[in-house]
Amino acid sequence: MQALHDEGVELIFGYPGGAALHIYDAIFRQDKIDHILVRHEQGATHAADGYSRATGKPGVVLVTSGPGATNAITGIATAFMDSIPMVVISGQVASHLIGTDAFQETDMIGVSRPIVKHSYTVFNAEEIPKIIKEAFYVATSGRPGPVVIDIPKDMTAPDNLFDYSYPEEARIRSYNPPIEPEQNQIDRAVEAILISKKPVIYAGGGAIASNAEKELLELNEIIDAPVTNTLMGLGIYPASHDRFLGMLGMHGTYQANMAMHNADLIIAIGARFDDRITNKPSKFAPNAKVVHLDVDHSSVSKIIEANVAVFGQVKNSLKLIKETLEKKLDSYDPFVLQPWHDQIKEWKSLHGLNYELYKDESDDHPILPQAVVQHVHEITNGEAYVTSDVGQHQMFAAQYYHFDKPRRWINSGGLGTMGFGLPAAMGVKLAFPKDEVVCITGEGSIQMCIQELSTCLQYNLPIKIININNEALGMVKQWQDMNYGGRHSESTYQNSLPDFIKLAESYGHVGIKITKNSDLSESLKKAFAMKDKLVFVDIYVDPSEHVYPMQVANGSLENMWLSKDEQT
Amino acid sequence: MIKRKLILIMENKPGALVRVVGLFHQRGYNIETLHVDSVKDFSTYKDIEKKLETKFEDNQISRLTIETMVSDDLMRQILRQLNKLIDVIAVSNEETTYLKGVLLDENLL
Repeated sequence: MQALHDEGVELIFGYPGGAALHIYDAIFRQDKIDHILVRHEQGATHAADGYSRATGKPGVVLVTSGPGATNAITGIATAFMDSIPMVVISGQVASHLIGTDAFQETDMIGVSRPIVKHSYTVFNAEEIPKIIKEAFYVATSGRPGPVVIDIPKDMTAPDNLFDYSYPEEARIRSYNPPIEPEQNQIDRAVEAILISKKPVIYAGGGAIASNAEKELLELNEIIDAPVTNTLMGLGIYPASHDRFLGMLGMHGTYQANMAMHNADLIIAIGARFDDRITNKPSKFAPNAKVVHLDVDHSSVSKIIEANVAVFGQVKNSLKLIKETLEKKLDSYDPFVLQPWHDQIKEWKSLHGLNYELYKDESDDHPILPQAVVQHVHEITNGEAYVTSDVGQHQMFAAQYYHFDKPRRWINSGGLGTMGFGLPAAMGVKLAFPKDEVVCITGEGSIQMCIQELSTCLQYNLPIKIININNEALGMVKQWQDMNYGGRHSESTYQNSLPDFIKLAESYGHVGIKITKNSDLSESLKKAFAMKDKLVFVDIYVDPSEHVYPMQVANGSLENMWLSKDEQT
Repeated sequence: MIKRKLILIMENKPGALVRVVGLFHQRGYNIETLHVDSVKDFSTYKDIEKKLETKFEDNQISRLTIETMVSDDLMRQILRQLNKLIDVIAVSNEETTYLKGVLLDENLL
């Protein structure tokens, strides 16, 4: 505990159990670090994850051995896929029992190995300060990620005393993530920018991890290129900016995908050309040169070959590109991009998203899920922290809530973990108690970590839960509609959904049910007006609604479904 | 696909080997041969010691030789993934060496 305090930890999410009891006793006997007792270890990891995404600080989780540790696995995998810094301390059975199938024994290091950046086992109590120092250093530096520390019970026994001192800094000779880019790489990137007539900036989660929003904005004041963000990158470039194209990829906007496909230069910033971005890699952006800025060597040229690779913290790389570009401004005329901007404007007007759906309040049609998100955006002035779960509601939130700031959009992008939204919202609310925190979810996802409503009561966390209820696993159903002849195999619940209003009330919260389009605006306003209450808003939306645009499988980026019967 | 040889040096710590082997398994690459030794003679690693500003000591370092069947592209990706493992100090094929994030056009191992 002393080591965690010395590391600057203020908040731990966890759940006690046999192997962690010595540590929990130490928590009881101190008052510097707050501990949040969740209802399931998965909730602890997602909450720590949400806290980390919103603050940029590492999330800390404490669980016991065996089931405590394995319950944390989904949350660790979620953080790993999205490169979120997290330190997970798991209790372990006493050293002399390891390998004997002791009560609540699991090989946590073995189970978590493929989904952690690194892991440690404590073999001697006096190593604890050094291991904790290293764990935080590894978790937060380079490409961030989760680190597991497995601590056998006897290592934390009160009689196992040692001379404590906390190391000033961690130095690992076999770990040296790149920080400053090399000038010759920067020069090559600048050359490519200077000759481009159709550039696109494609920024992802790595740009947020590197806190590069200012550098990106400043660089693009010179280049004046259109900017698209990945699902993980939303907010790194202001959505209200003229040059913003929206999200790209599988459910990206028409103009973003068209711009990427037709670009002559793609400047990838902390993004990894995931399969949800590229569609079929061999057909991806056929005329584009790729400049790739990343901190991780293994992300570059993994799926799409980069013509120029710039290794380093992308914040520093962007700054250096700007400085180098400024010296060559004589040979750069942003006006040559005008035809490109005109083309993009045309695409936007042709098939851009309709951001004014919420203005239609008639009861001629059921509630549209897209309109729900637009209402929430209106009511919260676009300034809320929005967490989401996984499925159609996630895509609607990503498309229709406009994020002008980074770290406001909190979702499980890589792993796609249903159940992420509510506990993540708890982590965000604990970090920013005065800010509005909204969890946009669906009736499928919310039930995967619904027990955390109890945690929200214990710690008084007035989150707003927007349950976009279509009485089905919407995204699964959409795929079944589009690819499986409409056979809805196991994607509906046949009238077995709980009464979410009573459920919320049974946890001491407020529930509001909305079924009519004309009630939507008023009822949502009422929910958001209850500042000190958790409000569960259960909104029945059109169950037949699909997410569009949607990439046509195995096509290029320009092959999209624009509606149920319209294809590019 | 031809058989290729990789050489790694890494910290001699419990769990380090399984991370290397696991990386192959996870991506579906088969290991044809594997040889591990604790390094006793550091004379060939003077360059690495200098570059990392460190001094290797007895029983601290393991040397792995791995033979595997992969294409050129995969080979590069494997090198980069191995280099990313925290306990791996350097990894090399016949032409190049990754020494903690730095790609060198020579075989240092």
